[in-house]
Amino acid sequence: MILKLLAVAVALMLLLWGIGKIPLSYNLRNLTVRWKTTLMTALAFTAVIALLTVMMAFVEGMKRMTEGTGRPDNVLVLSDGATDEGISNLPIGDLSEIENLPEVARAEDRPLASREAFMVAIQSAPTPSGGRPKRRFLQLRGIEDPRLTAWIHDLELLPGGSWFSEAGVQEAPADGDTPAPMIQAVLGEGVARELGRDRTPQQLAAAKKPDRLDVGDTFTLGNRTWIVVGVLDSAGSTFNSEIWAKRSLAAAMFGKENYTTLVLRAKDAETAKRLETFLAEGYEKAALNPKVELDFYKDLSETSAQFSYAIGFLAIVMSIGGIFGVMNTMFAAVGQRVGDIGVLRLLGFNRRQILVSFLLESLLIALIGGLLGCAIGSLSDGWTASSVVGGHGGGKFIVLQLAVDAEIIATGILLSLSMGLLGGLLPALSAMRLRPLDALR
Amino acid sequence: MKYFKLIFRNIGRNPLRSLLTSLVTIVLVFVVTMVWSILWLLDIVTTEKSENFQAMVTERWSAPSHIPLSYAEVLGRGAARNPGDVRPLDSMTWQFYIGTLDPEDPSSKNMMFTIACDPDKIAAVKEGKFTTMMEGLESLADGQEDQLIADVAKLKDAPRGIIVGQNHLKITNKRIGERFKLTGVSITKGLDLEFEIVAAFPPGRYDTMAVFNREYFNNELDAYPRSHNGQKHPLADRSLNLMVLKVADSAAFTRLASQIEKSPELSDPAIRCETMASGLASMLEMFRDLIWGMRWMLAPACLATILLVIANAISISVRERRLELAVLKVLGFRPYQIMVLVLGESILLGAGAGLVSAALSYGVINWGMGGIAFSIGFFDRFMVPVDAFWWGPAVGGLAALLGSFLPAWTARSVKVAEVFSKVA
Amino acid sequence: MNNPTNDGPIVRVHGVHKFFRRGSERLDVLNGVTLDVPEGEFLGLMGPSGSGKTTLLNLIAGLDKPSQGEVRVGDRLISAMSEGELAGWRTRHIGFIFQFYHLLPVLSAYENVELPLLLLPLSAAQRKQQATTALELVGLSDRVRHRPGQLSGGEQQRVGIARAIVTDPTLIVADEPTGDLDAHSAKEILDLLCELRQTLGKTILLVTHDPRAAERTNRLMHLDKGLLVEQRL
Repeated sequence: MILKLLAVAVALMLLLWGIGKIPLSYNLRNLTVRWKTTLMTALAFTAVIALLTVMMAFVEGMKRMTEGTGRPDNVLVLSDGATDEGISNLPIGDLSEIENLPEVARAEDRPLASREAFMVAIQSAPTPSGGRPKRRFLQLRGIEDPRLTAWIHDLELLPGGSWFSEAGVQEAPADGDTPAPMIQAVLGEGVARELGRDRTPQQLAAAKKPDRLDVGDTFTLGNRTWIVVGVLDSAGSTFNSEIWAKRSLAAAMFGKENYTTLVLRAKDAETAKRLETFLAEGYEKAALNPKVELDFYKDLSETSAQFSYAIGFLAIVMSIGGIFGVMNTMFAAVGQRVGDIGVLRLLGFNRRQILVSFLLESLLIALIGGLLGCAIGSLSDGWTASSVVGGHGGGKFIVLQLAVDAEIIATGILLSLSMGLLGGLLPALSAMRLRPLDALR
Repeated sequence: MKYFKLIFRNIGRNPLRSLLTSLVTIVLVFVVTMVWSILWLLDIVTTEKSENFQAMVTERWSAPSHIPLSYAEVLGRGAARNPGDVRPLDSMTWQFYIGTLDPEDPSSKNMMFTIACDPDKIAAVKEGKFTTMMEGLESLADGQEDQLIADVAKLKDAPRGIIVGQNHLKITNKRIGERFKLTGVSITKGLDLEFEIVAAFPPGRYDTMAVFNREYFNNELDAYPRSHNGQKHPLADRSLNLMVLKVADSAAFTRLASQIEKSPELSDPAIRCETMASGLASMLEMFRDLIWGMRWMLAPACLATILLVIANAISISVRERRLELAVLKVLGFRPYQIMVLVLGESILLGAGAGLVSAALSYGVINWGMGGIAFSIGFFDRFMVPVDAFWWGPAVGGLAALLGSFLPAWTARSVKVAEVFSKVA
Repeated sequence: MNNPTNDGPIVRVHGVHKFFRRGSERLDVLNGVTLDVPEGEFLGLMGPSGSGKTTLLNLIAGLDKPSQGEVRVGDRLISAMSEGELAGWRTRHIGFIFQFYHLLPVLSAYENVELPLLLLPLSAAQRKQQATTALELVGLSDRVRHRPGQLSGGEQQRVGIARAIVTDPTLIVADEPTGDLDAHSAKEILDLLCELRQTLGKTILLVTHDPRAAERTNRLMHLDKGLLVEQRL
């Protein structure tokens, strides 16, 4: 859509260039002669477009993350009324009956179902520099069988890692000062990076990976030492920000007695849809809120829609800066070149060509500024940023990667050209209206 | 004075350019004001106070915080066990109740966030002095204080009474004295409450906050099993979300925090006692990148744009007036006087537009839109503070000063001979 | 080169009146001017300031329209043409030379000369050839890349003349072409105009104050109080 619009805009520009008889080099020379004004005007465009590009890249990253999580043949079951895993509370008694429904796929005579307890744990983050104690909200998923859960969610470990053991703990090294066994954890890549920042310079010097925690590294949470046994290859999904551990251990520490989430793998997407409907309307033993997993995560991207509105608002408001800025410049250009306009008219150039020439000049400034803005904004591609998705009473804390794509660049250039057109129109009209004889007087 | 007149005249010389430039400034200062209004409040609440020191007690390891109501009594005395232990000067319990006005459409526009608490903690007169445990209410005007005391008295008399924020009056479309019903959602699902609006908070910080008597909430929670086959509500044993304690100073706070965090009565679940500012700062930590982006990208980009547009406008003016400036020099104007003339024009334009923008944003946002709707942690609406009236002109004026410095320098160094030779 | 279809005068001005309104006041500038200019003539037009010289020139060049009367150039009744038609017509038929040259400052001498050709259906090669020829004719072959700011007044005026002749117009109108030049440069420009007339057979209409310029014309008219008086044949 945006790409098409941009194509139309570029085609229009080329058309203007085609019908304009006054050589483009005339405009280019004038722009370079008054390079300070040109530069300042273009830079105003650059500031606006660069900012918008970064903001759009943020939303795009958020969208990719929420839309990149979830499968169409998984059904996520929460308790009735819970729109968020954090506040869901599933009665344990009903779970195995649900798991054994015929719609649920099986392997090795086991239903493909993952029982999960999602919780938000608070970590007192070490503050090496002193100052105010910081704390951090970590998303913890207590699960029973990590292999099964990972398989259902389509996740694999990065090379070198392993899943946590049946017991979920391991002995602390004998020389260590923590006699209690360490809790084994599998980390999403994003949270491994986040926790990796807490390391002291000495720890960092000895670390296997400078940018994140890796297998064998430890961290502290809830008065216990946790050891990383594996890192999930989870980039691009919301699991990237999660810590997985044995449910029985985690639940006891953080006061979640019940499961929050049951994820069922249906035989196919169609069956999943049917299962969702059945659990919502036909199942009577418990009130549930089932949702096809893909849709569940899509709903989380509602937050990105809100961001999009905010960006739209800012785009309009900030565009005024660009529009009026280029208007100033172009009015001054017209004022300074009244004589030129008079001569051109005497030589036989008609009003339309004067209009086209000045419009093209304004569009050129816009294009230069816009392209530069897009280029600067594109530097944000790949930056990581954290955010919260999902609304009231819950929400997920995610670490996302800003993503600049062709559509964002196209939007930036299109907006830039629109500003140039709007800002250039009035001055170009005023140039067009000049009468040749008055102009030369 | 004559000088001023000259500057004013120059602004009026090209009214179109002056208008366009000030419009850009107005619009962009508007955005900056919005961003800064949000940051302003967030900075205030996360800055450690030197007086009116408050501590916040929440669950230690798990979020959202849910602690047993039975902790309230222990916390109220600061978990003091030994003689000489510090006791809080005052305390307030916060129990969240979230409900929707329309169970069919529980979207955020119908959602109401309320707090069940002890009415006396909202406002009371102690030893002839107005006291409150709610931050932001301590700075009310005298008349508003008396009104609030009267409102709290009404709240105590009406078992189902509620004091709502100005924004709730709009979304419920009810007036004081009328009733409305909320269907519990999220953590308070299953608890449906009916309220009678006894009063509304004065406009400002509490526009989206509603408080009601905790007895009503706790009675409903206790009655829940009777209508649910004897099953307790999931919140039953952990209905206290946070507790606010008032202490004399930071030394007292440090001792109090250690008493509370070490108390055996308060160990399961474990709790955390921190200063209010630090607690709120931690909650905002989740939004740190967003806040960083607003502070260091959005606002600066607006400022840069203003600066460029003003710089451009002024340098165009200077170029157009080279001859005139040369004439002024011939007449004996000193270079610095010419520079001041140009700078003055630009600063006046920028500061004027900034002031207009501040007034506009204050009026439009606070009165027209009911605040900036921006949901971040506990906060979902931000008002433009009166401080905007100095930010506006300062930002506009400063951007103008920076932007016009180079053009003014050019004007200052206009070479008379050169200009005239070109003209001749 | 240019071949008018009829053998009569190339410019025919008949009974032309022109007045301007300033508020309620009516300002009569031309009061019934009739003038024929045969092809190949170098006609001088003199007169005090405000006598209507430039107004007459503008009417003939299709920049303005008479309040009354007819103006014909070649076979076209230009006083009846629309503004849009006139713009296209001017390109092909009128070459302008101005007192202040009116070159576009950002374009080189060559580009200034090429400018009017852009309006004609010519290939780039044709444009190049015509523009180069015109610059050669005015003796500026070695300064084609210079911008107006880098040229002397006389040189700028020669670029202006090259621009005026590059489209091979029916008529060249020159409004005080030497008014801004020193005596030496002025002489050079006048020599050039005479040469154009002699070698290319151009019809030139010259408005001037300068008696030295007037001397060089082969017919001189005097305009006074809106009426035309023949001074010398």
